[in-house]
Amino acid sequence: MHELSMANSMVEAILDTAKKNDAIQVTEAVLEVGELTMLNPEQLRFMMDVLREDTILKDAEIIINMIPIEIECESCGFKGVSKTDEEMDHLMAVATCPKCDNTRVHIIQGQECNIKTIKIEKED
Amino acid sequence: MHNIASIDVEQDIIQANDKLAYENRRILDENNVFAVDLVGAVGSGKTSLLEKLIDEMEDDIGVIAGDILSKFDAKRIEDKNVPVKGLNTGKECHLDAHLVEHALPDIPLEDISILFVENVGNLICPADFNLGTHVRTVIISVTEGDDTAEKHPMIFKGADMAIVNKVDLADAVGADADKMVKDVKTINPDIPVVKCSLKTGEGVDEIIALYKKFQSKK
Ligand SMILES: Nc1nc2c(ncn2[C@@H]2O[C@H](COP(=O)(O)OP(=O)(O)OP(=O)(O)O)[C@@H](O)[C@H]2O)c(=O)[nH]1
Ligand SMILES: [Zn+2]
Ligand SMILES: [Zn+2]
Ligand SMILES: [Zn+2]
Ligand SMILES: [Zn+2]
Repeated sequence: MHELSMANSMVEAILDTAKKNDAIQVTEAVLEVGELTMLNPEQLRFMMDVLREDTILKDAEIIINMIPIEIECESCGFKGVSKTDEEMDHLMAVATCPKCDNTRVHIIQGQECNIKTIKIEKED
Repeated sequence: MHNIASIDVEQDIIQANDKLAYENRRILDENNVFAVDLVGAVGSGKTSLLEKLIDEMEDDIGVIAGDILSKFDAKRIEDKNVPVKGLNTGKECHLDAHLVEHALPDIPLEDISILFVENVGNLICPADFNLGTHVRTVIISVTEGDDTAEKHPMIFKGADMAIVNKVDLADAVGADADKMVKDVKTINPDIPVVKCSLKTGEGVDEIIALYKKFQSKK
């Protein structure tokens, strides 16, 4: 799976922002990961931990918020969280309108892999 | 004491890929090249399809072949005497726009009219990554089981055309090719789906006609 490339891009982007802001330490990073990205947050965290070892990010708290899948139905206009059945082993439901079973739906949320905010420390 | 600051980053890794994909598309359009991203499970018939299309289409074709480690697919295409660039993805499970950007300079874009990009064999990860191509084709085969489409809806939702391959083997493996077509249509009602056998040649003309249609609408 692509946790490694995602983790790598995220660590790079965080360090880049930190550097641009003259950080000497990053203390927190808040990430948003959509349920549709098929990224496993535990694996993502593990990969990031390895990659940030020797960086100013090494002691930061990494907060990963999972973003649920939201859809908009072309047929009935339903806008909201798609049905994700706990027992579902096939994913077809995530592409189906929970109200009218239509599959002409737009995905409006759930595909992100976003660095939301970071907290840094800088020299006075 | 140190200053503490909170910074809004709002940087989406997937959107960053989309930006690079947009740039690839611009380069392709500048050179008047129609590009296809070919995705499918391992062994579904991606390279076989390319070999067939190179033989049967009149256009000048170029290929970027993504492979996890080897240059095996690139070698098969080289034997057909068309420009090909093998992309070694290392451990990656998908191609992304950045990798394609690096491969484009190695393809003589001025000499070709169609570029096929064979993605890594995988029905999950490539769904998140635009490459900048004009059309995405998903190829699945009956030997993966006839529940393949319903198990991987996202790749079909984001695709422009789908192929159900190896229909010559459907009876032997007890798979219902029509069910697979129906599932794809359920997930993405507007998508054209072709039943095909790259072994017997069934469906290949229909695939070529579809590419012609997409290309003229580009
Ligand atoms: N019987 C039959 N075999 C096929 C058909 N299409 C492809 N094959 C065989 O299936 C095997 C895999 O085909 P490839 O074209 O290499 O598949 P691929 O998707 O490129 O595979 P990877 O690049 O490894 O993911 C080869 O042995 C092909 O000869 C078909 O329609 N019928
Ligand atoms: Zn992956
Ligand atoms: Zn609806
Ligand atoms: Zn191949
Ligand atoms: Zn580069």
